[in-house]
Amino acid sequence: MSSLARLRPLAIPALAVLSAFIVGSVFLIFTDIPALQVLFAGRPVDFLTTAFGNVVHAYVALLTGAFGDPPRFAEAIQQGTPQAWATAVRPLSETLVAATPLIFTGLAIAVSFRSGVFNIGGDGQFVLGALGATATALLLRGFPAPITLLASLVAGIVFGAAWGFIPGFLKARTGAHEVITTIMLNYVALQIVQLALRTDFMRPPKGSEPISQVIDFVRVPALLPLPGLRLHWGFVVALIVAAMVSYFLFRTTKGFELRSAGLNLTAARYAGMSAGGSIILAMVVSGALAGLGGAFQVLGTVTQMSNDIDAGYGWTAIALSLLGGNRPSGVIIAAILFGALNNGGHEMQIETAIPLDLLVFIQALVIMFVAAPDLVRQIYRLRPKSAEPGAPASEGAAA
Amino acid sequence: MTATAAPVNGLVPAVSEAARRAQRSARIRGIVIAALGLIAFGLASGSMTTDVTFKFWLQQQGKAFAQVDTSPGELWILAGIATGVTGIWQLWRGAAVRWRLWLVLWLPFWVIAIMGHLLVGQTAVLTNLFSSSLEYAFPISMGAFAAMICERSGMFDIAVEGQMLVGACAASIAGSMALQWLGPDAGTIAGPIVGPTVAALSGMAIGLLMAWLAIRYHVDQIISGTVVNFGALGLTNFMYLRVLQTYTDYNTPPTIEKIQIPLLADVPVLGPIFFQGTPYMYIGWIVMVVLTYFIFRTRWGLRLRASGEYPQAAATVGINVIAIRYRAMLLAGAIAGFAGSYLSLHSAGSFQMNMSAGKGWIAIAAMIFGAWNPIGAFGAALVFGFADAAQQLLSITGVDIPPQFLASVPYIMTVIVVAGVVGRVRGPAMAGQPYEQG
Repeated sequence: MSSLARLRPLAIPALAVLSAFIVGSVFLIFTDIPALQVLFAGRPVDFLTTAFGNVVHAYVALLTGAFGDPPRFAEAIQQGTPQAWATAVRPLSETLVAATPLIFTGLAIAVSFRSGVFNIGGDGQFVLGALGATATALLLRGFPAPITLLASLVAGIVFGAAWGFIPGFLKARTGAHEVITTIMLNYVALQIVQLALRTDFMRPPKGSEPISQVIDFVRVPALLPLPGLRLHWGFVVALIVAAMVSYFLFRTTKGFELRSAGLNLTAARYAGMSAGGSIILAMVVSGALAGLGGAFQVLGTVTQMSNDIDAGYGWTAIALSLLGGNRPSGVIIAAILFGALNNGGHEMQIETAIPLDLLVFIQALVIMFVAAPDLVRQIYRLRPKSAEPGAPASEGAAA
Repeated sequence: MTATAAPVNGLVPAVSEAARRAQRSARIRGIVIAALGLIAFGLASGSMTTDVTFKFWLQQQGKAFAQVDTSPGELWILAGIATGVTGIWQLWRGAAVRWRLWLVLWLPFWVIAIMGHLLVGQTAVLTNLFSSSLEYAFPISMGAFAAMICERSGMFDIAVEGQMLVGACAASIAGSMALQWLGPDAGTIAGPIVGPTVAALSGMAIGLLMAWLAIRYHVDQIISGTVVNFGALGLTNFMYLRVLQTYTDYNTPPTIEKIQIPLLADVPVLGPIFFQGTPYMYIGWIVMVVLTYFIFRTRWGLRLRASGEYPQAAATVGINVIAIRYRAMLLAGAIAGFAGSYLSLHSAGSFQMNMSAGKGWIAIAAMIFGAWNPIGAFGAALVFGFADAAQQLLSITGVDIPPQFLASVPYIMTVIVVAGVVGRVRGPAMAGQPYEQG
């Protein structure tokens, strides 16, 4: 196999991202009211240059916001001070910070999708994990920080797993469709968080906003010894957990049972596997992963529980799990890509006043293109997959 | 039937076992209902002394038409009697009881008793409560109709939420543009027609996209639905922040006013509840009646249901399953988009971010609750609408229970309904399953 053929499995995701950005720029151009006014004034050439200029400006801001500005790096190498390095590395660090919760929720969704369960409830499991971690941290305030930190992380796992257990149990016992139940439990989880944030236990003294006390006394340690960078060990843990999930899914008996249930539930049942057990296990593992993500988000990144701690991570996770082929390795890459989009999007919003929500739309387009590979092949005139020998295996060749 | 069940369940369950299971769940249901009756009596004994006033209000004259003074204790006794009778009947007759119809007998008593309990010493204007329940039920029932048409045809439509959101946004923009271009006089007349029409068209476009992805490219329908919901939220938020927020002229559509039906609107009590609503309310009823007739009494309906239950068999008798599914998705999209226009053109008079706020999901729950039947779905939507209206009433009157608790009631109810704790209902067998034309 030549090195080019080895890259073939990446062609569809890459082209999907490209197509999504092209569609996104069409929407950018047609909502550029000042530029459109130029067009209606009868100056189409000016319209095109302005509108395209704006799109390029936006996407450049997105890139520099996500990965850093080359001149800043040059400056940092010349000066060599920690301050200069911190300034140069900050965008990259923020991208990884944004990617950390996405890796956890993405892994959660990947486990559930592999097991044939559609866990749309990543949001609810994430926020409850964060809530559990916050509550535990506040409860164990006096204890040594490492113990409190560990207990809070475990609490995040337990809360998330419990919130995943409910729809799993209902699906296994009564056949209730998990898409509906998880969605509903998302809303319920948000209400629980709002309710909890009004209690005196969570609220800072004299606070009226729905936001908890700052729990920086149990902060997850920072990864880089540079001032002002938020990147913490949660990212490394995310990578380790991804490796563990990969081992669990592809190297253990339980993992094999889950994947069998996902591929063909009837066949798995005939082979003597417990279908209900697989569904419950998948949902519990999935919820635990999302809950751990929530715990790291509150303990490492934001240090404060609030209503809007969850920026749609559960939904984004669906997108990036599909983009990553529901494989842990793919999830990591896709999460970093989406982290870069979200982080760069903030820069884009500041510089060009283009709303961050454009990227939500682009992410939706990415899922659409990835879910319809034949559509992408048709657009770019690629050879159909069936022409390749051993095609079904190629999906799994990457990791 | 067994042929369709076999690939799903693996084993064809014996009939006797199914009957035994039904009998057992009916018995459990009976015990639960009877126990609720006992609880009601227990609550009654604790609250015989306090007073609550309920007031029926006739709107035209601006004063009370009829007023019933009662106490929570009396209300609880009524609830206890109704619930107890139902529970005993259920225990006696077992699985033969159509429990869904019996809900109508005892559940309202509970609702009234709970409200009486919460509103001790205050006045509740029930006319307003019922009329706003009907109004709130409109988008939910229409969304439920949309999802139902899809599922009856064998498609899985979880994108109602996204279709509503896009419909709301499109209706606001289109209505505002009509107002701008046609001037205030013609625009106020044209806007309420153009807005909902464009909303329906945008819903159809999304329906077409989803059908195309699912049928042509075999995209899993849950994934394509997720794409639409996610993308609709991103797109409408983007439109709002980038265009509508700055250029507010594009977000000030003419609102749709309430219409009083002559003569009927003057009927005491019933008039203000049923005949003084927006056109949307009347359209909702018409759609319910028409859909019920078309799904169960026409050739189109039979074909629709056939392609949802057993597409292969439908295809053998010459039904074009693919075409039926495309048409169902288009019709459903139109209905959901139209329902979305209610959100922005009704009272708000503008589009706001994430306006649908989960109504599309509640609509799907209402469809399941209503057992894939238009009238049932409408009834379920009324229950959810009532929950909304009651929540507002309670928050206005300053009742001291956390609003989050009430806000999560519809969602918890949905989980319970979907989990089938109150009885299993069966949807179209092949909903969401891809169909290959052979």
